[in-house]
Parts: sequence; C-alpha cells; structure tokens
Amino acid sequence: MGQLTQPNPVIAPVDVANHQGGSRPLLGARLGSPKSRATPLSARGEPVVWLTGMAMSICIVMIVALLGITVYQGSRTFWPKPIDTLVMTDGRVVMGMPMATEHFVPQESDRAAIEKLKADAAGFIPGAFDAQGRPVRTLYRIGNKEIRGEPFEWIELYKVKSTRRDPEATLLERNNNWGLWIGVAERVERRVKPAEGSGSPVITTLAAAEKGKGLWRSIAPLHGEASDRRGQIAVLSKGEVGEINQRLERERQDFEQAKLAAARAKAGMGPAFGAGVWWAWLVMAVGLAAVAAVMTRRLIQMADRPGSVTPTRRLVVSACWVVAIGAALVAVLERPSSASMSEQELAALETRYKAKSDELNAAYQSVLDRIKEIDARDAEVRLIVRDAESGRFAPTTSTAPDEPMRLSSVVRWVEPNQLTFAGKVGVYLDRWREFVFDEPRNTNTEGGIFPVIFGTVLLTLLLSVLVVPLGVIAALYMREYAKQGVMISVVRICVNNLAGVPSIVYGVFGLGFFCYTLGAYIDRGPMPEMVVSRFAWWAGAIGLGMVVVFAVAMGLYGRPKPGREATRTQKWLMLLSALTWLAAAAGVVGLLVGTPYFHGFYEYRPAATFGTRGLLWAALTLSLLTLPVVIVATEEAIAAVPRTMREGSYGCGASKWQTIRRIVLPRAMPGIMTGMILAMARGAGEVAPLMLVGAVKLAPELLVSKSPPFLHLENSFMHLGFHIFDVGFQSPDSEAARPLVWTTTLVLVCIVLFLNLAAIRIRAKLRSKYIGGAF
Amino acid sequence: MDAPTKHNSNARGSGPGEGGEEVTRATILPKGPGNEDPTAATLIPLNAPVAVPVESAPTGRVSSGSPAMASGIEAIREGRPFEPRIHKEVAQHEPVVRAEKFDLFYSGKQALHGINMDFPRNKVTALIGPSGCGKSTLLRSINRLNDLVDGVRTQGEIFINNLPVYAPDVDVIDLRKRIGMVFQKSNPFPMSIFENVVYPLRIDGERRKGVLAEACEKSLRAAALWDEVKDRLKDSALALSGGQQQRLCIARAISAEPEVLLMDEPCSALDPIATLKIEELIHDIAGRYTVIIVTHNMHQAARVSDFTAFMYLGRLVEYGKTAAIFQRPQLPETEQYVTGRFG
Repeated sequence: MGQLTQPNPVIAPVDVANHQGGSRPLLGARLGSPKSRATPLSARGEPVVWLTGMAMSICIVMIVALLGITVYQGSRTFWPKPIDTLVMTDGRVVMGMPMATEHFVPQESDRAAIEKLKADAAGFIPGAFDAQGRPVRTLYRIGNKEIRGEPFEWIELYKVKSTRRDPEATLLERNNNWGLWIGVAERVERRVKPAEGSGSPVITTLAAAEKGKGLWRSIAPLHGEASDRRGQIAVLSKGEVGEINQRLERERQDFEQAKLAAARAKAGMGPAFGAGVWWAWLVMAVGLAAVAAVMTRRLIQMADRPGSVTPTRRLVVSACWVVAIGAALVAVLERPSSASMSEQELAALETRYKAKSDELNAAYQSVLDRIKEIDARDAEVRLIVRDAESGRFAPTTSTAPDEPMRLSSVVRWVEPNQLTFAGKVGVYLDRWREFVFDEPRNTNTEGGIFPVIFGTVLLTLLLSVLVVPLGVIAALYMREYAKQGVMISVVRICVNNLAGVPSIVYGVFGLGFFCYTLGAYIDRGPMPEMVVSRFAWWAGAIGLGMVVVFAVAMGLYGRPKPGREATRTQKWLMLLSALTWLAAAAGVVGLLVGTPYFHGFYEYRPAATFGTRGLLWAALTLSLLTLPVVIVATEEAIAAVPRTMREGSYGCGASKWQTIRRIVLPRAMPGIMTGMILAMARGAGEVAPLMLVGAVKLAPELLVSKSPPFLHLENSFMHLGFHIFDVGFQSPDSEAARPLVWTTTLVLVCIVLFLNLAAIRIRAKLRSKYIGGAF
Repeated sequence: MDAPTKHNSNARGSGPGEGGEEVTRATILPKGPGNEDPTAATLIPLNAPVAVPVESAPTGRVSSGSPAMASGIEAIREGRPFEPRIHKEVAQHEPVVRAEKFDLFYSGKQALHGINMDFPRNKVTALIGPSGCGKSTLLRSINRLNDLVDGVRTQGEIFINNLPVYAPDVDVIDLRKRIGMVFQKSNPFPMSIFENVVYPLRIDGERRKGVLAEACEKSLRAAALWDEVKDRLKDSALALSGGQQQRLCIARAISAEPEVLLMDEPCSALDPIATLKIEELIHDIAGRYTVIIVTHNMHQAARVSDFTAFMYLGRLVEYGKTAAIFQRPQLPETEQYVTGRFG
C-alpha cells in the first residue's frame, strides 16, 4: 500500500485505493482467464429446472384439460336451447333443438342434386354448405319418442327450405318414461266422462293458447294444481301404503317367529334370536364390544406391568375370563325356553294376527281408493300439444289411439323461444335443483340423481369408518409391536402388493365371501349338515376355552425376562403359543359354523336379506381394497414420530400403550388422515367391484327409514361411478343421456373434492395442533 | 518436572483432607513373560513415584511439549483392567443411586465396564468424558431406557434407594415414574403446555383437576417458566421457543416429584442465554433433587455440579468433588482431559 500515492488523501477512502490499484492484479491472478473457469452446464442445473418445469406443465395441462372439459360440458347441459322449426324441401315440418353440427360426405346418389343446388346459388338456406363447399348437417333433438321412435335426427341442411323460431314452440319434460315432447301447445281441457261410461266425454276448454304468446302463462296455476295431485298420489302410495305394508310385514314376522319358536320348543331345541328382536342384537353387540374393550384394557395393563403380575397370576385371570364367558354363554344359550306355548295359545295368536292383518288390509284398501279417486280427477285434465309434423298427440301406449296427455305428466314446461336471459337462468337453475335433489326418471336418462349422491356419500363415509380403524390397528402392530424381521417384511410386501390387485378381484371376493358366505350365514344360520349336537358343541366350546388358556400360558412362560435374550425353550414356547392362537381362531369359526343355537337372522324369510348384494358388503369390499393405502400411510406416519418424543414419554413412566395412545397416535394423526383421504378418493371413484357387490341401476329408496333399525345397510344402492357407466353405456337412449354423463361426472368430482377438502381441513388443524412449527 | 506433575504433587500435599494417602491407584503391569494374569493388578500408593515400566507407551509424565496419553488411558484403550479413583468425599454422603459392577452390552459390544459408583442424595453429579465414553448409556441404564434398544444385555446391578433396578420382578413403569429425565433435545409432547407438565401424573391415573393444576403451577414455577406461560397453558407446547421447551421438559420431569432427576446434555441444543437459565434452574433445584447430569461442556459441569465423574470408553476413571476434579485431579488422565489435552 505504501507505493500508492493518493492525489487527495482527505477525500479518497481506503477502499477506493484498494479497488483502483492494490487488489486488481491480485484478483486477476487468482481467477486466471475466465474462459477456462466457466462452470460446466451439468453443475449449473438450469437444464434440470427446464426439464422439471416442462414435465410439470404437461401434467398440469392434462389435468386442467380433463377438469375443464368436465366442467364445461357438465355445466352447459341444462342451459335451455331454442327450438327451430324447419320446413323441408319435401314438405316435412320438423321441430327440434340443434345439438351439434358437422360437414359430411354425401351419398353417391345425392351428389348430382347437391351440385345442381350449389350451381343455382339459391334455394338453400345459408349455412347449408361450409366454407369449403362441403354439405353440412345438424343433429336435432326432436323428442316425441312415442310416435317417432327415434328422438334424434341428423338433418342435411341443404334439404331445408326455411327455418323459423315459433314463439309457441313448447318443450315438455315429462314423467311418463317417454322423454321429451316438442310441439305447439293448443289448449288445456277438462274431459268428464258421462256417468254410464258410454258415449263421448263432455269437454270444456280451461285455457287456450294465443297466437304468438304460447300457453304457459294461462295454465301455470292449472299446472300447479295438477302437480299437487301428483304429489298427493306419491305421498299416499309411497308413504302410507309403504307404512301399512311394513306393519303388515312386521305382524307376519312376529307371528312366524312365535310359530317357529313353538315348533322349536316342541322339538326340544333351544330358542333362537330372530330379526324381530333387533334391539336384542344391538344390546348384544354393544355388550360384546364393552366386554372386549374391558378385556383388552385389562390385558394391556397386565402386559405393561411385567413385574407386578406374575405369569401364574395372569394365567389365573385369563382362566377366570374363559369361565366367565362360558357362564355367560350358558346363561344365554341354555336359558329356559319361554316359547313353549300350548296349542290354544298359538291359535289365539293366530286369530289375533288374522284380525290385525284384516284391519291393515282394510286400511290399505281405503288408501288405494283415495289414490284412485285423485287419479280419476287428475285424468280429467288433458293437455293438447301437437307434434309439428303429424299433428298428433302423444298416445298413452303405442297401440292405443292418440289421446291428449294429462297435464300432470308434465314436470317442466319450457317455451324456450320466448325466454329472456333471466328466464333461461331460471330454467337452468331449476334443472340443476331437480338434478341434485330428485329421483331419476325414464331409466335414469332424466330427472335427478339424489339417491345416487346419497348412496355414494354413505358408501364413502362407511368405507372410511371401516377402513381407518382396521388399517391403523394393523399398522400399529406392524410398526410398534411386531419384531422387525423377515416375517414382518414379507407381510409388508404382501400388503403393498395388495394395492396392485385388480379391483374386480376384490369384487369377486366380496361377492363370494361377504354376500354369499357371511351374508348367507347371517340370513339362514349355518348349513344344516354342518350343525352338530348340543353336547358336541359344548364339548368343543370347553375344548376351545382350554386351547385359549394353553395359548396364553405358552405366551406367558415363553416371554424372555426384560433385558435378557430369549432362550431356545422360550422361543419354542412362543412359536407354540402363536400356533395355538391360530388353532383357537379356527376353533371359533368352527363353533360358529356348527352352532345348533343360531338359526339365522331371517330364517323364515324366503328372500335373502344379508345374503345378497348391499351397501354394507360394498363398503367392506372397498375397505379391503383401500386397506393397503391406509396401512402404508399410517406406518409412515408412525415411523416419523421422533424417537426423542417416545423416549420422553417412556422416561416419564408411560407404558408402551400409553405412549402409543397419547404421543404416537396424536402425532401420527395427520398422516393417518392423509391415508384416509386417499382411501376415500379411491373408494368414491371405484366402479368395478361395486358392480358385483351392491351398486344397482335403480334403487330410488334411500337407505334410511323411520322404522328400526333405521339404517338399512343390507339394501343395494346407487353409486355415481356406476351411474356414469350405466347412463353412458347401458342406457336405451344413450344420445339423450350423454349430457347427463358429464353432469354426473361433475357432481362426482365435486363430491370427492368436498369430502377431500373437509378431510384436508381437519388434517391441517391436527397438524398445527400436534406437529407445530417448532421443528 | 512439567506442570501436571507439579500440580498433582501440590494437590497431594495441600492438606490432610485432600490427601490421597489411602487412595490407591491401580495400574496393570504390561503383559510380558511371568505376568500373564490380567487380574494381577499392582496397587501402588499414589504418592509413591510412578515408575511402572511400560513398553513403548509413554507414561503419564512426559517431559516436553507434545502431550502424551497417561498410562491409564492407554490401559483403557487396550482393554486392560483399570481401577478408578474415587475420592473419599463421595462416600461421606448418603447414596441414592448405586451402581455395582454394572456392565452393559450393545448386541455383544461392551459399552459399560464394571461401573461402581454412588450418586449422593440431593446433590448434582456431573458425568463428563469424551464422546462414546458411555455417560449417556450409564444415565439411561438408571431408568432402564436402554431396554427399548434391541440387543441390549446387562450384568451387575443398579440400586435406587437400595431397590435393585434390574431385578426380574421389578416394575419398569413404576421405576421410571420415580425417576425424571430430561433429554438432549427438548421433546415436548404434541399437546398443550398444561398437559405436557402433568403428563406423568396423567399416565399415573390422576384425574382430579385441582391436583393437576397445583402440580402444574408448582413444577412450572420450579422450572422458572410459570411467569412466561401462565396465561397460555392451553396453547400447544410446540409453539414455545427452544429454551422454554427445555425448561418445560424439566418441569415435566419434576412434576411427579421424582427421587432422581437425570439430565442428558440438557443444554447442548440451546443458545448461551437459554443455557444460563437452565443452569440457574439446576442450581435452584439442586438442594431438593438428586440430579445426575451428563454434559460435554466442562465449564458447565464446573458451574452446576457438586460432584463430577470422569468416564472414558465405558469405564469410570475418577470421581470426586467437582472442585477437586477440576482443580486438583488425582490422576493425570483426568487432568489431561479437564485441561483439554485429549478427548
């Protein structure tokens, strides 16, 4: 620095001096020539950024395209379209809603006529040929399936002489399974048949269309009355008739139950539980669960305190449990039969049953009469809307002569050519309301999908309720209790591979095991040839109890002392214990299969109830299907709980179970929720197994009811995924139903999104609570 | 004569209380012809000139600059028996925890070699030593936390208030309830501050709200955290700062009134201010609890502890009053470690 001479030492700071002279040669010398020191591309990493960005963009484009098409197509379906009236060159008049337009290659025979038409440069409507001079055709939805057969028609536009939009053009959405009706509304009239039933009916016009204004304004109140009548009929036939039927059925069940019990008592057999005592089943299930909980708690406490309780004491306790369970079994199964009634008593019961059923039948008849009366009044009000081409009304059947349709058969009346924008929005929203909250009509191609949504949501919730505990318990055992060795690795690989099994295989398994084996057992009890005598059964039960005690004993004496290695004998004892537990499990199944005490939940009922496809079995099948997802996610989450946290808990004197319950599980909860979200998404979107184990084309009754047990999970249900398949590919009128596929898909996506958002919200809450930002 | 020697001889000559007259030092003679029996340790009075011939190994006293290992260090490294030096002051206090010939093996590898140690009641005992010397292992053996590690085997016995820890019929859960433990990394549980503090009581089945609240306040006050968190006891403990979390862990460890408080490098993950607070805290609770603290920081050991034990490679080397260990160690090995010449 000494050699530097500063012109103005007062202003010049030291670093200026450094930059100007002192350090520059040094810098150059250190770096050398810049070319040789260039960072290689591989070290810079920009290409990787571009590559990853590109891959992500492709993914996003695909997802956005899929969602975009779904949203676009799904949301435009219900927008009211105008009705065109086409006058064809051959004199036909066609009314319809344009759906799609395309150019086409005309047939050989038509080519000359088309060329001549084009040469004239007149005589065809604008748009009949596209810019390249190719002929264009439009798909019109023409409705009126009763008289046309085909509700859609491709119309070559060069054959059209003129088009117009009549204000009177009317679109009727009907509830009579024939689909749309398009025509020109004329009038509404009342036809009263003469009392004798002969002679022509007396006709009075209630409302008539004015030219250019349509009919709707004048008949809206009439239509309201008609809809009310339709609603009354629905309430009567579904609600009241249904209730009477249920009561009849219950009376019959009770009587049959009594008869069966009497017969059983006569034959010297023990009494059995039937479906009529559903509350007894409930009490028994709750009791069993409580006993299992208490026992588990007790066992956990004992396992946690290896020192304070000696093996012998624990053996005594488990033997006591076996004896207690045995005593409870004896008390329940060998209880004194109350069903030993005399012939007279049975006869009295039968008389009572007959009287009751007569009374109910009378009530049924009166409801039917009321329905008939309303229906007759309803049949008087007729609507005259003529088909544009033929001038016909809608025939009630294809063979009967034409007859104007009832006003009440019209669900929605749209005069699209008169609608303002606000009116269109109104129709659009009303159609959405109907779609989401009503039942399907016309083989699922019209109406709503409420039962479908209900079935899907119920299935998804039930599935997660079933799969999460199962998966969490399995993962807990695998990660916390099992010895991490070859065996557990094999199990883990198997679980992971289960995720790759085609879902239809799960469906086949579910049908075979849940529906036809487990369900049939619940319905009918064990197969008659498998049932053993009471003596043999009790001998087996005592044997099983001894086997359990033996297994417990082997386990207790085979456990190594804390801090010590297991001896060879102890290892053998543990193996023996495991094998004995397996034998005990097999024994339980054997006892259930051979029991002379269970005669089926629905023994006297001819039709299968549980032994057929239903929501419960579908949920169980799907929970098997999604189990690997939950197990893997839970295992990861449990493994991610810091070791220091566990040690802290153990250091406070917590047992293993207390540590798991208070530290590991809460901390792993967000991860478990992730598993649940994945399982729910997969379960809600699954179709193939559901086709086998429960989803059906039409099951408009919801699975809830006012009569016990309130939730009928044994019934089959409707599912959105299956509904999409059914409407899109199994529908008799797939062209008409296709737009509904989009809307249904949109609804399914929205439901999955909603369920996931709810779960994600809960997970975020849990995460901030249990994991926090500190780590 | 170099400095350590001078120091040592000074220490020995400083007074009758400090004297090592009856303290003996064991040094094994090197293996050689006629001296094959490894147990044939020769006991040499400390004040006798140490002139054990050691083949090619430098003795504890080296004349010039490059510090060589003391002979005991060599002996430990080569796996030869080594008799630790335990000052007689330790025996003057009533022991709470006592280790007797305690060995511990991690899947066959021995991590602790015949530890014989008493931890005095209501005193702070520091365990120091280089990494891998087994101080944490010893600490975790006291509440049997090593049971959680696969393949751990033990020999010998540890007593807490004369109750054997490793007896086959001991209730490990109950044992751990009587011992509080604070870990190297603060490990608050994923629950509220209140629930964290009363966790040991909760798992003991305590449900009375009054008892829990009282214990919570008492422990938090003892851990000097009460004023900082008293208004947000229901908030998540994970939102606290690192130092607060560690004090929370101390509050948790003492909430069940343990007989012994084990601390495994409680300040190693904290900044100096937080460390200072924890050290003050240890100082405050020292009179009421028996504290055993493992630390890497010798200054910390000197500041907070009443007794200090120096361990090396799974063996106890020297154990005595903290002042004695740091200022007048009786073994050259200890002196070399506390003066930072190895480890």
